[in-house]
Amino acid sequence: MGKLEGKVAAITGGTRSIGRAMADAFLAEGASVVINGRDQAKGDEALAEMGAGDRVAFYAGDAAKQATVEGLVDFTVERFGQLDIMVLNSGGVVNSAPVFMMTDEEWNLEIDWNLNQVFWGMRKALQHMMPRDSGRILVTSSVEGKIAKPGIPGYNATKHAVNGLVKSASKEVGTTGITINSILPGLIETDIVRSTGPDSAIAMGLPSYEAMLDVFTQESAIKKCNTVEQVAAVAVMLASDAARNITGCMFPVDGGTMPY
Amino acid sequence: MGELSGRVAVITGGTRGIGRAIAEAFLRDGASVVINGRDAAKGERAVAEIDAGDQVCFIQGDAAVREDCDRLIDETVARYGRIDILVNNAGGSSNNAPVAELTDEAMDNALKLNLWSTFWCSRKALGYMIPQQWGRIMNISSVEGKVGKPGIAIYVTAKHAVNGLTKSMAHEVGTLGITVNALCPGAIETDMMKDEGAKAAESMGMEYKDLLDWFASESAIKRLNEVEDVALVASLLASEAGAGITGSMISIDGGSSPY
Repeated sequence: MGKLEGKVAAITGGTRSIGRAMADAFLAEGASVVINGRDQAKGDEALAEMGAGDRVAFYAGDAAKQATVEGLVDFTVERFGQLDIMVLNSGGVVNSAPVFMMTDEEWNLEIDWNLNQVFWGMRKALQHMMPRDSGRILVTSSVEGKIAKPGIPGYNATKHAVNGLVKSASKEVGTTGITINSILPGLIETDIVRSTGPDSAIAMGLPSYEAMLDVFTQESAIKKCNTVEQVAAVAVMLASDAARNITGCMFPVDGGTMPY
Repeated sequence: MGELSGRVAVITGGTRGIGRAIAEAFLRDGASVVINGRDAAKGERAVAEIDAGDQVCFIQGDAAVREDCDRLIDETVARYGRIDILVNNAGGSSNNAPVAELTDEAMDNALKLNLWSTFWCSRKALGYMIPQQWGRIMNISSVEGKVGKPGIAIYVTAKHAVNGLTKSMAHEVGTLGITVNALCPGAIETDMMKDEGAKAAESMGMEYKDLLDWFASESAIKRLNEVEDVALVASLLASEAGAGITGSMISIDGGSSPY
């Protein structure tokens, strides 16, 4: 018997990397899962790879848009009858630039993707979960939600902000059966990091993408990147019924990077 | 086959409370487990209750005494051939008082039981873990390792120190396949809390019940934590996926700690 038998999860992002690893882990523990992404073809491909039949579905849309995030909740409830686990996972660096060069437009893109997404998804999920007095909300934050590097101010600011949102909201619903937690991974070489990393390296004043990976790993105790499977294991634990007394937590998966 | 099949764990003070819950979780996951405590009769009773045959045993010893810590680790290896997981769980404080009235002896006892025991057992266990390039050290700290209440300075000081030791050790052995983490539970009404909580409350100028209410009121869940909460996280940290988590002070406190 899986740890998430009979549960229904929705994950923003989820066709690949961290979200995908969580989806695979949730499925292995018996849950039904809806994954999300912008690209229908990638979604179909992910579903085929996952091979979980009716227990998994794809909802197409840009997680930086309110209609997508709210639509994901409605779609999940329509398809599987309920929503037990909301994972607000999509996010990343849109534009790497120091503050003095950052445009309003670039800034807003990151706010929408990393912060507003979490707010929209959390609010909508809570509206569904509160009458049922039960639920788990997980936010994929980052070590950059506690510390900060130059050149990625939008990412740093929004990841700090979602941690504040998690703390506040977890207290609002603390006496219900709903928990809300952040997971703070160290650097993981996901597809997104591979695609935006070279630009980030330049904005951070580093000679190469590899040099940026080194900056992150050298800050850790393990001197290497984390893995998506490590994050997924924490997500399963926090999503389980047994984790009812863990909430408002900034759960680290960072190989010893953060100072607190 | 469990996630911890073939692994050997030792837990200081594992006859009851948090340590006992962790022992049972590790046993469920397939590990062999050594529990420890000062009282041999309590230890034998716990082993009988746990009822896991050769997979569990009790080694008597006082975690506040260096020779006992060294012997606990050596005897674990002698009995099961290795040591993979060390849970520095023994702890607590007695003779709490405001600092202005605190005795040297009370401070010394709290440091011996919480801090020195963690240092002694970890140092000895690392001697086995480093050559095998695999290990998990878990230090049972407290929400009081991050914040501080008045009247229990000896406990707060010792737990803060344990968190510092955790961070430093984690960086020393970070590339050797060994993780070191502090687990920071909120208040749990264990036997020990029932024994010592009333006296601690007196030192804090309140009734025992008010002390429990204070802890609960600071949380998001408005209730105390349970030993199973800590065991849940311990299981995760002991697993292969736990390899990516080290030097952390993980809050298991229902949303109490500010960070």
